Amino acid sequence: MKSLTIRNLSKTYFDVHAGANVTAVRDLSLEVPAGEFVSIVGPSGCGKTTLLNMIAGFIPHTGGEILVGGRPVKGPGPDRGVVFQSFALFPWRTVLDNVAFGPKMRGVGRAEREKIALEYLELAKLSEAAGRYPNELSGGMQQRVGVVRALANDPDVLLMDEPFASVDAQTRMTLQEELTRIWEQKRPTVIFITHDVAEAVFLGNRVVALSKGRVLEEIAVDLPRPRVWDDLNEDDRFKALSGRVLQLVRSA
Amino acid sequence: MTTLLLRAWSQYLRLTTHWPSIGTLVPFIPLIVAWWIVTELQVFPRAFLPGPAEVVRSFGSLVYTGVLPEYLQDSLVRLAVGSFWGIALGIPLGILVGLSQRAHKALWPLLLFFQAIGDIAWLPILVIWFGYGLTTMTVVIVYTVIFPVVLNTVLGVRSIPITMHRAALSLGASRIRMLWEVVLPGALPNIMTGLRNGLGYGWRALIATEIIVGTSGIGFLMFDARRAGSVVEILLGMIILGTLWYIVDSWILAPIERATGQRWGLVTK
Repeated sequence: MKSLTIRNLSKTYFDVHAGANVTAVRDLSLEVPAGEFVSIVGPSGCGKTTLLNMIAGFIPHTGGEILVGGRPVKGPGPDRGVVFQSFALFPWRTVLDNVAFGPKMRGVGRAEREKIALEYLELAKLSEAAGRYPNELSGGMQQRVGVVRALANDPDVLLMDEPFASVDAQTRMTLQEELTRIWEQKRPTVIFITHDVAEAVFLGNRVVALSKGRVLEEIAVDLPRPRVWDDLNEDDRFKALSGRVLQLVRSA
Repeated sequence: MTTLLLRAWSQYLRLTTHWPSIGTLVPFIPLIVAWWIVTELQVFPRAFLPGPAEVVRSFGSLVYTGVLPEYLQDSLVRLAVGSFWGIALGIPLGILVGLSQRAHKALWPLLLFFQAIGDIAWLPILVIWFGYGLTTMTVVIVYTVIFPVVLNTVLGVRSIPITMHRAALSLGASRIRMLWEVVLPGALPNIMTGLRNGLGYGWRALIATEIIVGTSGIGFLMFDARRAGSVVEILLGMIILGTLWYIVDSWILAPIERATGQRWGLVTK
């Protein structure tokens, strides 16, 4: 696990339909130490997904720099694992082969990579589903696979783009609790994009509120771990923090 | 009465689940019976429309003399050779055009232009170039098979969600491995559609070509029978065409589709 440094990052592109330059991210700086869980919230259009896509290397940035463990980002790579809102599992591979995909690309032999995959599937309580195809799983199970597929490749930074936005509310709470549990075990560096304020506070060590492509404010979340919804729902500090973040996002 | 019918229907459904070939054959029974009745009533002169029994008899004698097996083999080999090259050239070309904007810009208008010049329209010039032989037939079949394969492969490649590419890249896949790991399987359901159309058109083009330039094959058999005034053999040829296509579809294409696109949930059953 490594640190992530973003310095004076900006993204400007030419919008063909508007016929003008649009700035999605401007002069954004963010320092994420190794092993920290940072939630990024903001209203739609604040540039949060653009930011994540630039960190992942899916789209180029037009100014500033992104460093992972001190090395500049140039295009996508296995040092940054990504969990997608649409899951993006490979439908033509079994759950086991999906999770073993990253190690396979690294050249890990079959027996070894299947061992790794099974270990991670166990972590997400998915051992039973190993031989099934993604389309045979529920949305919640598919996203569990999405999370462990990214983790099984042992990335320096884990990037999550509204990963739980398309599952039902109950499943979402379970997934959030599982994610904190897994994070406590593996301690990856995580950037978690969401528009759900409660989710951001529940998961993060820190919540960064974005507005119009800039960091509006950073709020430290000093809630004790392990975190479970049964405790936090009625917790005054949790409510106070969520309230503050909500205020920020709504003013943005 | 209704319950009896329903019970019989459910028996039939159970039977066809166990023996799918029964489900294939049953729809043909009324057709054959109608044919038989029409010929027995002598609605048309026998020489114009022979009955099922005569066609079966003709089938027996043509198999016995070895003409039919030989012609059948000739037709199938031609189709196989032509299809092989059509697929071997069509899929890579489709992937190239599907992935590269530049290749798409350069080749798409050409593809549409040449697609419009139907297979048979090439026959006059091909006969001048290559004569009456396997080369001419192969070129026609390759030409016929390749367009549906290319066009559907392009469609398949372009319909792969961008997140699929991104997921593979961020898991460490190189551009080359992406071809095998993402592009090919992602486009496979469309490629199968292309193959199905391509082989179907290829089969028709083959028969047409055999009728025009052939010296053997099922198409030649039918055309030769016309010269001899043997409607029996013409009917037999038509029945063989339909039967063979059904076999290719249900024994080769459908099982591949069941094992891939349908299994993966990319194609609804």
